[in-house]
Amino acid sequence: MWLLWAVLSTVSESAAEDRSAFDRMARGDQEALAQIYDRHGRLVYSLAFRILRDQSDAEDVVQDVFSQAWRQASRYDASRGSVLGWLLTLTRSRAIDRLRGRRSRPEPSSDEGALNSIPDPAAPADVQAASAAQATHIRAALDGLTVLQRVAIELAFYEGLTHAEIAERLELPLGTVKTRIRQGLLKLRERLAGAV
Amino acid sequence: MAATGPDHDRLQDSAGLYVLGALAPAERVEFERHLQSCEDCAAEVRSLAGVATALPYAVPLVDPPSSLRSRVLAVTGRPTTAPAHVVALPTRAGHSRPWVSSIGWLSAAALLIVAVALGVYSTSLQREISNLRTEVSDLHARLNQSDQRVAAATRLVTLADARMAVLTAPDLTQVDLQGQQPVAPQASGRAFYSRTRGLVFTASDLPPLRTGRTYQLWLVTAQAPVSAGVFEIDNGGRVTQTFSTASDVARPVAIAVTEEPAGGVPAPTGEKYLVGLTH
Repeated sequence: MWLLWAVLSTVSESAAEDRSAFDRMARGDQEALAQIYDRHGRLVYSLAFRILRDQSDAEDVVQDVFSQAWRQASRYDASRGSVLGWLLTLTRSRAIDRLRGRRSRPEPSSDEGALNSIPDPAAPADVQAASAAQATHIRAALDGLTVLQRVAIELAFYEGLTHAEIAERLELPLGTVKTRIRQGLLKLRERLAGAV
Repeated sequence: MAATGPDHDRLQDSAGLYVLGALAPAERVEFERHLQSCEDCAAEVRSLAGVATALPYAVPLVDPPSSLRSRVLAVTGRPTTAPAHVVALPTRAGHSRPWVSSIGWLSAAALLIVAVALGVYSTSLQREISNLRTEVSDLHARLNQSDQRVAAATRLVTLADARMAVLTAPDLTQVDLQGQQPVAPQASGRAFYSRTRGLVFTASDLPPLRTGRTYQLWLVTAQAPVSAGVFEIDNGGRVTQTFSTASDVARPVAIAVTEEPAGGVPAPTGEKYLVGLTH
């Protein structure tokens, strides 16, 4: 679990700076928002763009996310996770909502689902700023999955598809999808742990 | 509660879907209830949630449009400051281009499948091509053989034709040749000569010659011997050969075979092996 700890470790200078910026945002410091945006805007935008595959939609989501961060900075609870983890969770949730709206199918809000992704603060699984090397490790770990495991995980994570939708898309039995996704995540955990 | 029992066995696989938020609502409720009582599943969910949270870090990085910064800062309701130093996250080359990102992993996976399929297809095509090449090459060889056989047969027919033409000539003369002492006492031969059509010569029991030497057949006229051509014998010392001869050759008084340097000579120089007088 060493790498995962390193990647997701709460203790990091960057995370401390983020928390400090959020504190200042809570006091109405616009510079702090600029700082957070300059630090994380690119990753937030990249995630939104990855999910929505549309520049204009991605920009809207980024604006929403930072707007909410500005408004709720005072309510930010550091014990619930890192600033960046919070930003990314919110980004994914907003982007998937928009994606579902685009599919114009009534779907349950993904907020609840996205909240499931917020790890237990007690677990060493809180996401902090990932360096390029860490991103590379995660990509390498993803490369180690079978195509099916990876596609199933990505359909859930980036497309926000439900269990049944993934099964339909991949033309696989529900049970197979369920197993593949769990196996894929377990393998990712193992690879991230064993990567050092 | 111990991590056993039908509930656990049935529900433990849901952990992955749960942390990705992909469980159907009813299933999610059931799973969450299970988590209350199953520490193993709860621990797995915590750890897999960490993995799921790591996923966004692997997205291909794309540069947002520069105008987005002012839009974001405008949410404060105050005029924006000029862009401070823009802290660009380190990125691998090629990962910041929008088209790369728009392809995405899913498409990459699809492309991978297509690539693998194409690879397999290409391998099987190559194997097929290789098989076909072998087959073509075999057919080519057989065709060559056939060609050679046809050519050989044609040659034989041509020879037979020429021979038949000689043998059926109205001016045909037959000359019997005798082996000469001391070189070829056992040899014998026969020539069928038509002044207009040529000469068919056959002989047997001729001895093999040294390398670089050849047999040469002569029409011996009153004036001088005229060469009809050279010939080789087979392993049994036999030969049957048709020669075309010039029609202006004077009537031969004899037909003779001598041993000469390879390729033949204009006038006989070597030992006589066979001689036959015309009548």
